[in-house]
Amino acid sequence: MDPHPPDAAAPEASPAPVKLEFSEVAKSFEHDSQTVAALRPVSLRVHAGEFVVLFGPSGCGKSTLLNLVAGFETPTSGTITLDGKAIDGPGNDRLMMFQEHALFPWLNVIDNVMYGLRWEPGFRFRPHARRRKALELLHLVHLDEFAKSSIHELSGGMRQRVALARALAPDPKVLLIDEPFPALDALVRAKLYIELQDILVRTHKTIMSVTHDPREAACLGDRVVIFTGRPGRIRSEVRVDLPRPRDINSPEVAEHAGRINAQLEAANEEPSGSEA
Amino acid sequence: MKNHPDRRHKWYVLGFYLLLFAVWQLVFSLELAPDYLFPSPLQVARRLTELALDGMLWPSIKTTLSRMAIGFTIAAGIGLLIGLLMGVSRIVNGCLKSLFLGFQSLPTAAWMPISLLLFGLSDHGIYFVIIMSSVAAIAISTSDGIHRIPPLYLRAARTLGTPAYAMPVRVILPAALPGIVTGIKLGWTLGWHGAVSAELIKSSVGLGYLLYMGRELNDAAQVLGIMMLTILFGLLLDRFLFGLIEQRIRRRWGLAGES
Ligand SMILES: Nc1ncnc2c1ncn2[C@@H]1O[C@H](COP(=O)(O)OP(=O)(O)OP(=O)(O)O)[C@@H](O)[C@H]1O
Ligand SMILES: [Mg+2]
Repeated sequence: MDPHPPDAAAPEASPAPVKLEFSEVAKSFEHDSQTVAALRPVSLRVHAGEFVVLFGPSGCGKSTLLNLVAGFETPTSGTITLDGKAIDGPGNDRLMMFQEHALFPWLNVIDNVMYGLRWEPGFRFRPHARRRKALELLHLVHLDEFAKSSIHELSGGMRQRVALARALAPDPKVLLIDEPFPALDALVRAKLYIELQDILVRTHKTIMSVTHDPREAACLGDRVVIFTGRPGRIRSEVRVDLPRPRDINSPEVAEHAGRINAQLEAANEEPSGSEA
Repeated sequence: MKNHPDRRHKWYVLGFYLLLFAVWQLVFSLELAPDYLFPSPLQVARRLTELALDGMLWPSIKTTLSRMAIGFTIAAGIGLLIGLLMGVSRIVNGCLKSLFLGFQSLPTAAWMPISLLLFGLSDHGIYFVIIMSSVAAIAISTSDGIHRIPPLYLRAARTLGTPAYAMPVRVILPAALPGIVTGIKLGWTLGWHGAVSAELIKSSVGLGYLLYMGRELNDAAQVLGIMMLTILFGLLLDRFLFGLIEQRIRRRWGLAGES
């Protein structure tokens, strides 16, 4: 896991095709016959292989945006397309990792990782192939010895790694990560970030994630999209062109984190209900 | 080592029961009532031994238990199925919930007259009482368990591509398991009430029948002895079979591990 040479990754070399396109996507919820706006019209392009981090104050609609991509909710207006096709309901081409780990307690570790493969075309009725794939993924997240453990025996960090393996198993085009690493101690987190980037570089996923932590945003994202307070709207973007894997404790990451934080503070100072 | 406080707790419980028997014996020796009405623990034990030696006891226990095994298996199957339907369909739940809550408020013995009318003195009537006593509790607990499934599990299942037809078996029932075991446990207790009550009237073998015979023969020692056995078997299965399963599941599901 030694760091790649500084210029090995060339993030902007060739413009990758657009994976996800949001055009004027807005969402509001009906609450006791009142309409609550959760997200003001948002337009955004996410390219294949890109890691986009959504960053903003609590309640600004970040989870809502991920839920729209996952297909759990439908936009009130506007459209979201994946590879040019409009999104229609949940599917495992866009896998979501949740704020809590959401592993199934009735299955052990390896059965959790295998779960999503059961209905995959290449794996239907092929339990051995499923198991092999799951073991590979457990190896990737360094949990080989825990294949047979049950979920309640694992630590918080291990659970998140199992959740990552489970999400990677059906080989989704897009990975949606909603604040996946809360409340882990600093050492475990730093290690997990390195591992995560290592895996991402190897598997070339397109990723949208949500975080409250500017350092996490700077460490993981190619682009950090900053939202205003609720109902959210995109205020600005910060590009992070640092080589991977990045160490969350490095001064470069800290410097970008500072810029992201400044943007957030500026966003907070603007009156949030300013739109007429 | 780790279980130390737990083990000490067990000694307290044992002490409590010894004390209970001592008090019983003490009250007996005060001779407040004639001993054919209020027997001593020793007389009860002697009567039970006699029954056992006469070959009356074991077949009775076996019969009641096997009636329970059959009746309760059927009840659990029906209860689970109805509970699942109630859990996934708001309409079914709306219709059946009040009906089943009503059933639950009915004392198990109240099923006896209709059972006699429908099945006469045959064994089927006993199964009928067992099933009717327990099915409502199982169905309601199952549907409650399903309604309490954290939405996160359902979303996770959907994002992982679970087709709708696979949801009940792969996700809904397992996720509702804590509620289901609670229902099975409660259903077992109610079914046990039903079985023994039904045997009081309908049977020529079984724990309920021995109770009934004890009363017919004015044999208080037999009545008390069989009551104690009924409690013992009810408790054994409730605490040590279903109780342990429930505890394991609750721990695994990350729910509070109170005992
Ligand atoms: N199902 C829902 N019904 C009604 N209102 C909702 C629903 N989901 C979200 N909201 C509202 O939409 C707004 C945005 O919520 P969302 O969960 O997307 O925020 P968030 O940016 O993810 O916040 P956090 O950082 O705290 O997780 C909030 O005001 C919330 O109350
Ligand atoms: Mg959120």
